[in-house]
Amino acid sequence: MVEKEEAMFRSAEMSLIQLYVPQEIARDTVYGLGNLGMVQFRDLNTKIRMFQRTFVQEIRKLDNLQRQYRYFNSLLQKHNIALYEEYDEDDKRFQLPPGSSAIDDHVENGSLIEERLVQLVEASERLELQKADLEQYRYVLKAGDEFFANTGASGSGDELLSRSVSFVTGVIPRAKVGTLEQILWRVLRGNLFFKHVELPQPVYDAKSKTKVAKNAFIVFSHGDFILQRIKKIAESLDANLYEISESQEERSKELGTLNTRLGDVYTVLDTTTTTLETELYAVAKVLNYWNKEVSHEKSVYEILNLFNFDSNRKTLIGEGWIPTDELDTLQQQLAKLTSTLGVDVPSIVQVLETNRTPPTFHRTNKFTEAFQNICDCYGIATYREVNPGLPTIVTFPFMFAVMFGDMGHGALMAMVASLLVIYEKKLGKMKRDEIFDMAYSGRYILLLMGLFSIYTGFLYNDMFSKSLTLFKSGWKWPDHWELGETIFAKQVGVYPFGLDWAWHGTENGLLFSNSFKMKLSVLLGFIHMTYSYMFSLVNAVYFQNWIDIIGNFIPGLLFMQGIFGYLSVCIVYKWSVDWVKDGKPAPGLLNMLINMFLSPGNVEEHLYPHQATVQVFLLVIALICVPCLLLIKPLHFKFTQEKHHQHQPLPGSEEGASSQNQLELLEDDDDEEEAAGHNFGDVMIHQVIHTIEFCLNTVSHTASYLRLWALSLAHAQLAAVLWTMTIQIAFGMTGFIGVFMTVILFAMWFVLTCVILVVMEGTSAMLHSLRLHWVESMSKFFEGEGTPYEPFVFKAVDFESEP
Amino acid sequence: MSFYTVVAVLLVVALTSAVFWVFAPKQNQTVWRSTVILTLSMMYLMWAITYLSQLHPLVEPRRADLRPEFAE
Repeated sequence: MVEKEEAMFRSAEMSLIQLYVPQEIARDTVYGLGNLGMVQFRDLNTKIRMFQRTFVQEIRKLDNLQRQYRYFNSLLQKHNIALYEEYDEDDKRFQLPPGSSAIDDHVENGSLIEERLVQLVEASERLELQKADLEQYRYVLKAGDEFFANTGASGSGDELLSRSVSFVTGVIPRAKVGTLEQILWRVLRGNLFFKHVELPQPVYDAKSKTKVAKNAFIVFSHGDFILQRIKKIAESLDANLYEISESQEERSKELGTLNTRLGDVYTVLDTTTTTLETELYAVAKVLNYWNKEVSHEKSVYEILNLFNFDSNRKTLIGEGWIPTDELDTLQQQLAKLTSTLGVDVPSIVQVLETNRTPPTFHRTNKFTEAFQNICDCYGIATYREVNPGLPTIVTFPFMFAVMFGDMGHGALMAMVASLLVIYEKKLGKMKRDEIFDMAYSGRYILLLMGLFSIYTGFLYNDMFSKSLTLFKSGWKWPDHWELGETIFAKQVGVYPFGLDWAWHGTENGLLFSNSFKMKLSVLLGFIHMTYSYMFSLVNAVYFQNWIDIIGNFIPGLLFMQGIFGYLSVCIVYKWSVDWVKDGKPAPGLLNMLINMFLSPGNVEEHLYPHQATVQVFLLVIALICVPCLLLIKPLHFKFTQEKHHQHQPLPGSEEGASSQNQLELLEDDDDEEEAAGHNFGDVMIHQVIHTIEFCLNTVSHTASYLRLWALSLAHAQLAAVLWTMTIQIAFGMTGFIGVFMTVILFAMWFVLTCVILVVMEGTSAMLHSLRLHWVESMSKFFEGEGTPYEPFVFKAVDFESEP
Repeated sequence: MSFYTVVAVLLVVALTSAVFWVFAPKQNQTVWRSTVILTLSMMYLMWAITYLSQLHPLVEPRRADLRPEFAE
């Protein structure tokens, strides 16, 4: 067996294969491939519309089944029955599918269960309505006592009137009581008597299918015509009208019969609900498993629809991308399948020669995956180009740590991350919400960020804004001084590791650390960019794109090194010279760099002998590089490529890749495409843009790295301010108040440290680090015109994730 | 204690990296090599810059709030 390529530095080599599968075993083969997840199938039927393809019938059937399953699931949720979760280890073995009869069983079962459930649900809904109706009637009857009792009290003197007066009773949603009263008042010109009573419990409403709070009401008025109008108005406002009798005895008799009827309804409803729930419990146990099998089956048919169907020879022909080193595995598995199924005709795998651009596939593991995702968010690497995800593993957390440098905060972050890493298996099975999932999937990034922050915090000598005195200081204070006297330290050595703690709390400590952090960011930025720029050389050599080296890489490199490389060397040189001992003034580097451009040949303060000559030389080189960058590539194109119009692009070259992708979008044919011819104008414009961009970016990107300085300064200052404003206050107090305040202020300090300094500042530093990678680093070499490799593999199915 | 310390540590780091390049674990070799060596170089760079910046400082610590008892 061939050893698998690691495919991290470059994407894996891919082959286009053609798969001849006999029709009888097509389903089994594709099912097995879905378990393995190694082939990305191409659509060979782009000209055939979706609903005209071979396996539309099957898919439609399964779609219907899935709809039924979703219906079951919604019923389960309504009745608060939990789905039985099955934890299956996702083993990537070549498995045989469940027999097609099993799927047919599923289809049959699905329809049967649906029918039964629908019947039960309808029955229970009907009963529910009946119950609600009866209950409302009962409430109205009960309320009748109150209605007539009150009217009796007010109008008992006029018996005649009460006889001629007729009334309407009913139940209405509570929200509409006011409306009803108002409308009736206007329509009848105040010629009515309206009363209402609140029902003690909300009642099931047929219209909204939920329980609604309602009121019973009674309207007294006279005249049949008016009564009809009242009824119409009330009904239009969703009221249910019930006729009740005026006399107390009849009402109580009615109530008696009503109660027996209600009792019957309750029993029937109870049995119906129990039956429904028993049925649902049975479904809940297997629904997840069924749904998984069915959705796998469906995806198999969706893939088979991409195949070419040769009806004469009864074979299906599929085409797809596979990592070249997986070819053997595929062939073995197919052979195994043929032998287990006992079919005479084997499936055949044939590797095709093609000039299509294969998809980009980086083999990641749980550690590298998150880092790769950072880069893939920006763009998928072109096939076989250097993968920026590899250096990102270190540079991303480290750049973050330069901004976040604090031992204490780094330790907090590292501890949380290591918890996530240690319990990753347990947490992986858990259902995670969005934010927690982000932290979980980036746990290794967090871990490295925390660890590197501890290291940079060590170098900044910051632990929650305090310094550690681990080594002997390089500075010595005078032997004695008066209180309040300004004193200066004398250098007696060099602090071996990190910033000297003698600077902590001094008046000019910030001055020193600012100068140090600024130069640190320029140096780190320059080195990071040069490192990234070297990858463009690696790419050019790999794709044998020699003109890119001569026309792009070398002039660019000289330009960049001539200006900022020189600055970096000067920074280091200035540090290494003892200016105080030599008694010379230390030249300002910023002015030196500005004067190098503004008045070449003039140097006011000398850093080293012959400085003027060197600077003029570098300036001339940088200036020569600009036209080189601009012209070499287009001219080369003009002299070589335009002679023969039909030029074939190199398989991996920029033009080849991009034009092929465009073509593939336009018409995805089986034939090998011809690359579209570029003309001189295109190349020239492209190069002009590239040149302007490169020269401007050299300056702006270097300046952009100054964010390392700014953020780390802000972080350190914020930490110091938080310390003085919270916990430091407690240190002067004694006694009970001292204890009390220490506890309170520590809690405050710790919570704010976690929330503001670790989470908020951490997020901001992470975004800045992300930008430094996407813009400053990746723009130096990354093309990002690839398409991702998405092999056909069975996905975990979940009811929530489905539309 | 001078510029040569930085050079000496550079040599040590380079040697360590070279040794690790050879003895990197066989599984995920690229990731191991890249990650460890890049880590070493970044850590070295950061240390070297910090060290160099304090080698011949142009400003000295100044303060007026130190208590006289603190004198050694």
